[in-house]
Amino acid sequence: MHLLPKFDFYEAYDMGEACKVLAEMKSEGKIIAGGTDIMVNMKKGLLSPKCLISLARIPGLSGIEPTSGGIAIGSNLIVSKLLEFDLIRKKYNLLSKAASVLGSPLIRNRATIGGNIVTARPAADLPPPLMAMGARVVLKSKGKERELALDDFLVGPGQTKIKSTEILVSIIVDEPPPFTGGDYIKLMHRNALEIAIVAVAVQITLDGPDGSIKNARVILSSVAPKAIHAVSAEKVLIGEKPTEKLFKKAAALASTDCTPITDIRGGAQYRCAMVETLTHRALSAALRQIKGK
Amino acid sequence: MKEFAIINTRLPKVDAWAKATGDARYTDDLSMPNMLYGALLQSPLAHARIKSIDISRAKRLPGVKDVITAKEAGLIKYGVSPARYDETVFCDQKVRYIGDEIAAVAAIDLETALEAVSLIEVEYEELPILLDPFEAMKEGVIAIHDEFPNNICAEVHQEFGNVEEAFKECDYIRTDKFVNKKQDGAFIEPQSCIAFYDLNGNLTLTTSTQTVHYVQRTVAMVLGLPVGKVRVTKPCVGGGFGPKASANTIELASSILSMRTGRPVKMTFTREQVFQHSRARHQFWHELTTGVKKDGSLIALKNTCHMDGGAYSSFGIATVYYGGSLLGAPYKLPNMKYDGYRMYTNKPANGAQRGHGGVVARAAWEQQLDVIAEELGMDPLEMRLKNMMKRGDTTCNDFNMSSFGMEECLEAIRDGSGWKKKKGKLPKGKGIGVACGFFVSGAGFPIYRSETFHSTAMIKLSEDGGTINLYTAAADIGQGSDTILTMMAAEAIGVRYEDVRVLSGDTDFGVDLGAYSSRQTLMSGHAVKQAGEDVRDQVLEVLSRNFKIPVEDMDIKKGLIIFKKKKPDFSVLRSTYIKEHRGWVDPPVGDELTFKEAARVAYFEKGVVVGRGSYKPGDLGGKYKGAAVGTSPAYGCSAQVVEVTVDMETGKVTIDDMTDAHDCGFAINPTNIEGQMQGSLSMGVGEALFEEIKFDDKGRVVNPTLGEYRIPTALDMPNVNTIIIESNEPNGPWGAKEVGEGAIMPTIPAILNAIYDATGVRVRELPVTSERLFTLMKEQEKK
Amino acid sequence: MKRIITLNVNEKEYEVAVAPNRTLAQVLREDLNLLGTKIGCDMGDCGACTVILDDRPVNSCLVLAVQANERKITTIEGVADGPHLHPVQQAFVEHGAIQCGFCSPGMILSAKSLLEKNSKPTEYEIREALSGNLCRCTGYQKIVEAVKAASQTMKK
Repeated sequence: MHLLPKFDFYEAYDMGEACKVLAEMKSEGKIIAGGTDIMVNMKKGLLSPKCLISLARIPGLSGIEPTSGGIAIGSNLIVSKLLEFDLIRKKYNLLSKAASVLGSPLIRNRATIGGNIVTARPAADLPPPLMAMGARVVLKSKGKERELALDDFLVGPGQTKIKSTEILVSIIVDEPPPFTGGDYIKLMHRNALEIAIVAVAVQITLDGPDGSIKNARVILSSVAPKAIHAVSAEKVLIGEKPTEKLFKKAAALASTDCTPITDIRGGAQYRCAMVETLTHRALSAALRQIKGK
Repeated sequence: MKEFAIINTRLPKVDAWAKATGDARYTDDLSMPNMLYGALLQSPLAHARIKSIDISRAKRLPGVKDVITAKEAGLIKYGVSPARYDETVFCDQKVRYIGDEIAAVAAIDLETALEAVSLIEVEYEELPILLDPFEAMKEGVIAIHDEFPNNICAEVHQEFGNVEEAFKECDYIRTDKFVNKKQDGAFIEPQSCIAFYDLNGNLTLTTSTQTVHYVQRTVAMVLGLPVGKVRVTKPCVGGGFGPKASANTIELASSILSMRTGRPVKMTFTREQVFQHSRARHQFWHELTTGVKKDGSLIALKNTCHMDGGAYSSFGIATVYYGGSLLGAPYKLPNMKYDGYRMYTNKPANGAQRGHGGVVARAAWEQQLDVIAEELGMDPLEMRLKNMMKRGDTTCNDFNMSSFGMEECLEAIRDGSGWKKKKGKLPKGKGIGVACGFFVSGAGFPIYRSETFHSTAMIKLSEDGGTINLYTAAADIGQGSDTILTMMAAEAIGVRYEDVRVLSGDTDFGVDLGAYSSRQTLMSGHAVKQAGEDVRDQVLEVLSRNFKIPVEDMDIKKGLIIFKKKKPDFSVLRSTYIKEHRGWVDPPVGDELTFKEAARVAYFEKGVVVGRGSYKPGDLGGKYKGAAVGTSPAYGCSAQVVEVTVDMETGKVTIDDMTDAHDCGFAINPTNIEGQMQGSLSMGVGEALFEEIKFDDKGRVVNPTLGEYRIPTALDMPNVNTIIIESNEPNGPWGAKEVGEGAIMPTIPAILNAIYDATGVRVRELPVTSERLFTLMKEQEKK
Repeated sequence: MKRIITLNVNEKEYEVAVAPNRTLAQVLREDLNLLGTKIGCDMGDCGACTVILDDRPVNSCLVLAVQANERKITTIEGVADGPHLHPVQQAFVEHGAIQCGFCSPGMILSAKSLLEKNSKPTEYEIREALSGNLCRCTGYQKIVEAVKAASQTMKK
């Protein structure tokens, strides 16, 4: 058995209290949400925080609230619960698709959406669809609150723009406009209990039922230090009619947008090739969704 | 067809209730009063000289009761085969892989023990690291063991017939290479043990093992104790598959620590330590040259095999033989030459895993046969049928197929899978493949040279006659031997399943070589059958004297005495029994004399009623060097058809369907047989598609987790159309033989052949990850 | 520093003093002697330590005992009703779904939890629900058959 290092445990009952304790701990405190990532790292001896601060008892962090143009998802919402909302399945299906392939059912019953973002793993499942939907994160610290695009929030492996005094409290996602479709495709070795070899999230919006692409986000995961936009692919898509030829071109460009490494899950060259395949598939699926097929 | 009351039925396993409710106890669930917790110091370097070890700080830590190194534990060498004893409990001069054990601590709790380990100071002088076995065997490189200057741990050279001459007669000859990766048993229960040396000088070692007998011998030898003073016992074991079939360091270290402290000592591996200890499937490089006639008859096979052995021998000396001998069947093959080499490297030692030594050779050859069939324009299944051995045939390396339902297996999977409709007719991306395999029903010889019985059994009746205690040292590690042996005892005596209570996995209960080489159904089964028949005969003889009825006019069935002719008046006997047991809840009733009453009569006459059984194989033939590895009293065999879908754009393989037929001789419990077959196939799927222990350039395992070492999940395994074939093995109890390992043999090659059918690509390196297959498909496109 | 927490395990309240760095799996096994919860990997990869925490199966090796304070926990010991096996357990026994048994407690808890939410799952839904529980012995087939059979009995 692996013993966890010693630490102090603080269970906050409201946000103010949590921010206060976190501020007092300086950088020696760590937030524990689902714990599925931090506990593994602590057992492996990679992390040894002095204090873990749990958000589990804070009311209002585990729900989905409507906002003016979309929803705010509480950071402490567990992944399996996310999957149970009709609203998510119907309107934000990109997100529910990613949630459904995260880890295993047992992990999904503990892991939270906030944890999946803040731990900033390059292959994390939820950031790609959230970025494809243009999500923003809300960060709170003692007396302050700020909002940041998820694109900007993630910096690199394990690194984000969060300050040691801040807590991620919610994720804001705009409702996809009309004529919008998306998909998340994760290439895995096994069909469960997996971290992506490569994953691609796509969301495209047309300017009419048979119109041109008004907006396109193509997010590549597990092929760079963090989930990234396939910038040149997005550029080539916008303003064009969605055709097979265009999607092929965009997919090819996407594979030039990434900078994968070779690691134990896959080689760099293969990953680039898979970016092309998955991008093409995701774009085609997104279009099918728009067309209601 | 003989009717059976107990065997050949689908009775639930004897331990299923306890395991379903959480009541079943495994080693790590046990504790003893005053117990200490042990922890190991393991090498962080793959190859280094130990310059000094300082345990003084560790010893001073409050709560630490003992710290031991090679100095305290001694340098008695042990291993699996006496021919290659190359391990000591702790490293002396050198460490040979990352994880090699240097010291152990016993302390009042695990936390203290782990802290003490961190306080042991070791000074190393780093040595060149050898990770590649081909590098390791080059002239002039450093020797990992001084006694083996070229790092060749073992080599085998065998020839049966004359291969070179035979090739001259062949119409078609081809050579292929094949390689797998180092694997892991990946049983879910990590090894654990508790040792207790009591004041009477008895050592009791409770441990998660497949082989209490071998562990007993090793511990006694290393600790310098009389064998009789060492008792090794296993509670429930959470899977083994090979790596738990020999003594390990925690068993030895705990025993030494207990002897020194006088307190029980417990040690349990972490999952990472399970990977470091390893002793699982080797990495094999096979080069096979096969020669055939135009009509598809197999004429000759030349097999060269190199194996990465890791730092110690473990089972390797047997493995290197099996890598050749297990291609001797199931096809008629008059000429076979084998050259096998096992090299030491600075990695965790490799040993035995399900299908010992034969799985990779089988994968290589069955794929090559598929290529040959295609070249000859033959259906691969028909070519296999054409060459198939028959009952009574003997292989060129002297394996006698005393029963062999292989044709039936092939026909069953051909018809069960719809082979004829599908082969060659599936669209691109879909494929179907076939392969065959066989395996021993128990090694014909123990791992040490001896005339020992391989299995003994004792059956003792309770004084009330109602309970039959079966004592066996056989090890149920999940495969169900407790159930099978209970069923056999009940059948042999003629009582009900629930009347027999099995006590097993304990050296105090007898000798049994344990759960490896698929031996227990046949070998332990023989001993149990004999013991049961002995009890039955003793009870009937007593009855015979009492009733003046010849034994042959009586029988025992379902717990009742059957009088074939006239039923005697047993009313006096019954009323005596009931009188004696006044107040008991289970008085004998009904028109028939019960076994219970009969056993009571036997008790009055004999005091103790004990049935005895023991088994060792007869002369198995094979006089050449190495004949001991592969000769067996019987051979199980199986054939499989696998259907796959390959995502042509990613290379990802999905196993859609599997059809498996296995000849187990006779199905003692069909549910258990199917479970063994399905479990074997699942392991085969993992090895074919995912499983690989990876190392960095320092020799460190980089994926020592069940997250990054991938065994199939419920979403990766399809259902298997599971077909049992019975061939009535003359050397088996009631005709039964193995099922535990033979069933894995065809899985990998059937998958590879199906992948070829789907893609046109031959994959000759495992595992077939999506990346590997994708890359090969791209290369093929370029051609 | 130890905390006094209350765990509601198998409908029984336990007050225990635990250090924050101890997992729920450890406390169940070591303090409450509920040894049916197994530790196979201790990293959330295998599911042997599965318990039901507030109606959801989780890896108890990745839950701190202090996080489970005042929460409802079902371990394998709480599944049978006295001597009467739960239909899932009964089906596991009858269908040969248990070999070494080390994954069985977790497997049974995941299956029970599934059937409570979805009384008539498809085969895919069963396999998905069990996909965090590794089994090396059975190839899953008899486990899936057992869960199907249990869903039939539970409907009656």
